[in-house]
Amino acid sequence: MTDILIRARNISKRFPGVLANDRVNLDIARGEIHAIVGENGAGKSTLMNIIYGLYEPTEGEIFFEGKPVKINSPLVAINLGIGMVHQHFMLLPSLTVAENIVLGMEPRKNGIFMDMKAAISEVEKLSETYGLVVDPNQRVETLSVGIQQRIEILKVLYKGVDVLILDEPTAVLTPQETDDLFQVIRNLVRDLGKTVIIITHKLQEVLAISHRVSVMRQGRMVGTLETKDADERILAEMMVGREVLFKQLHRERLPKREVLSTRDIRARDNRGLFALNGISFNLKAGEILGIAGVEGNGQTELVEVLTGLREMEGGTFTVNGVDAFNKSPREIRGMGIAHIPEDRLATGLSREATISENLLMGVQDREPYSIKGVHMDNRRIRDRSDRLIEEFDIRTPTADILAGNLSGGNMQKMIIAREFSFDTPILIVAQPTRGIDVGAIEFVHNQIIEKRNAGVAILLVSADLDEIFRLSDRILTLYEGRITGEFSSDEISKRDIGLYMTGKRIDSTERGAIHE
Amino acid sequence: MNSRFSNENIEYLISLTLSITASLLIGALIMMANGRSPVVGYGALLRGAFGGRYNIANTFAKMVPLALTGLATAISFRSGIFNIGGEGQLYLGAFAAAYVGITFTALPKGLGIALAIVAGILAGGLYAYVPGLLKVKYKIDEVITTIMLNSVAVLFTSYLVNYPFAPARGKLNGTEIIAKQFHLSRLIRLSTLNTSIFFMGLMALLMYYLMEKTSAGYNFKLVGQNPLFARFGGIDDRRQMIMAMVISGALCGLAGVFEVLGVHYRFLQHISPGYAWDGMLVALIVRNNPIGVIIMSIFFGALKTGSIAMENATSIPSELVLVIQSIIILFIAGERGFKDRFNELKLRRKIKQEAGEGDA
Repeated sequence: MTDILIRARNISKRFPGVLANDRVNLDIARGEIHAIVGENGAGKSTLMNIIYGLYEPTEGEIFFEGKPVKINSPLVAINLGIGMVHQHFMLLPSLTVAENIVLGMEPRKNGIFMDMKAAISEVEKLSETYGLVVDPNQRVETLSVGIQQRIEILKVLYKGVDVLILDEPTAVLTPQETDDLFQVIRNLVRDLGKTVIIITHKLQEVLAISHRVSVMRQGRMVGTLETKDADERILAEMMVGREVLFKQLHRERLPKREVLSTRDIRARDNRGLFALNGISFNLKAGEILGIAGVEGNGQTELVEVLTGLREMEGGTFTVNGVDAFNKSPREIRGMGIAHIPEDRLATGLSREATISENLLMGVQDREPYSIKGVHMDNRRIRDRSDRLIEEFDIRTPTADILAGNLSGGNMQKMIIAREFSFDTPILIVAQPTRGIDVGAIEFVHNQIIEKRNAGVAILLVSADLDEIFRLSDRILTLYEGRITGEFSSDEISKRDIGLYMTGKRIDSTERGAIHE
Repeated sequence: MNSRFSNENIEYLISLTLSITASLLIGALIMMANGRSPVVGYGALLRGAFGGRYNIANTFAKMVPLALTGLATAISFRSGIFNIGGEGQLYLGAFAAAYVGITFTALPKGLGIALAIVAGILAGGLYAYVPGLLKVKYKIDEVITTIMLNSVAVLFTSYLVNYPFAPARGKLNGTEIIAKQFHLSRLIRLSTLNTSIFFMGLMALLMYYLMEKTSAGYNFKLVGQNPLFARFGGIDDRRQMIMAMVISGALCGLAGVFEVLGVHYRFLQHISPGYAWDGMLVALIVRNNPIGVIIMSIFFGALKTGSIAMENATSIPSELVLVIQSIIILFIAGERGFKDRFNELKLRRKIKQEAGEGDA
């Protein structure tokens, strides 16, 4: 490397009970796009937060332009020219774009009042320089996620930084928005001499955008390589520490019997606005029906109405021909629907309960675990827990550990173990692999396919298009509470689905291209 | 399941012991600052609480309302609905029992007492049902409604005993004495300890069984930990919360019943010196654990009984015990923070050691 801008040497960071970074070395060259990949919990974000001054390293040194520096706050980082865009946006929704961007460094009139005009013109200038188109006068709450991210980037650039750290920037974007973002990143680097560090766990993106890639595993730096020398297989192996098989999953062909049907379902979101504007679809036994869509287009509400957690305001919903409209979660479960919820911490488990207690939910008052629905049989419950822990490979010393102590992947395995153990004919699965590591993803996918091959009807809602494509037999696109298209997973490219996810409707001329 | 001695619980027991020891030490410092000997002070307190049959009896007599209201707090707090209205429920329960005791004077002993108990339980339970319903149906904060309903109950019963139910011979700020057959038998001469302690023991066993061993207890606990998860899993979280509230109110009502039938033999305008509040402290200290409630209410009962003896013997004011109680609560409230700080120190030392080895 010719010109090393940031050099991290032997960085270690301990949190109580965890060694998040273990003697990590990293060189960032001036003017490169450097990808940092690794499973969740590999220590990527910790390392970046250290470079950005949010955490102080327990050990180790950072050199900036060859000189040792002590970055103990983000202010120091920004003065050095290092800025970071976090995974979760930090924007004030009720303020305008310009106000958000200049916040904290507002141009002033007479030293006291904010100079709105100057702010707007500065944002316009900034927007032009970097090719990031925004309207400075719009309120942030009215803007899409992609635009909000643009604002986050502008916010950092406004502070005059040369190094941009992006933490999982594509997690919330559509394929089109991802393309746009990558174009912006390339411009920043090529035309304006910026340096970009991008954290991700999507390997295709690494290959598409970066010059060099560093792989982390379990807090250690596995290695850095030139992207042109890497491919998905090599990177996945480095990430996981063993060979990962990206094999096509085996599918049984099964006779298809309709088990769940909805007609014109309407429902409101938490703010009282309509989130579902007439949803109709059928789900058949032995198929995986994928729901693709940008988050916030009604997926959450759809899953909630189908599982009895949200009220419907219209339409019909039947399970095996039996009316299931606005039944309680208990009644719906009784009809044979199990549910992997999208927000596992809020809905799927209790962190303060043990693994055993979490696995018990749903059968706590059933024989043989509860004698006559009153007295719990602890031995039987323990046997069941131990069996599920083994069967679903939940990594824990005993069933009596509090669920809050498990890693994300193991929490998800615990939830899947519980819901799959009910052997229901219908499964509603939302974001099954969000935030869990590659090894666990493989496991979860195999479990889902196994259920499908056993004749279970599965509704899969996921923001991860790769996952939708990998698992689904049929795909529906959801946009603003409506189904905008139906595809079979093998006949249409992700790009086209991306268009339907952002509002393109099926019209009559295209009907011919659509499956079924 | 029910790993009562899991790591967390052992850690908590250690913190609890440390907290109590530390507050007793601070109590000793306060005594010394006032020129008294803590040895003499605590000696008098211990003798006052456990020094003889009479003293022990008084300690256990004080324990009855503390344990009942403590269990009431435990079941409601564990279910994620906060009944702060125990004092009001206790007053209504006590008045209901007194009403039965002065009205149905023809009833035989067993039946009469049973009726008084049922009346007190119903009064307390129904009085808790209202805020429970408001919480579940209209999302009205139960903490606020139950606190306010305390004043309503205390003032309402105070009106009742001073007007409609004032005794014939002048106002005593209390009702007439209840009929003889309603009096619970005293167990030790001169002490107010009475057979209600057996009822209390029975209730404690029942509550322990309900909370720790049954499916319903699981439902209560899981609703309290994460109501959304409970609903997702098929538990009717609203019904569960109302049930917890009613059981809690009923237990407080029962505490009131026993004050009338066992201690005062009439309803008094100020029948409780804040038992429900002390019971709440008891439950908070032991994190709503039913066994813990029983042990801790003996401790609190001893502090109460012993403090009066201490004041008499050494002229150290009995209020010192309130200070000690409050300091325990403060330490317990800070437990998490202390533990984190402690773990961090331990970790630092370990890192230093490792680094030292690295250099060597």
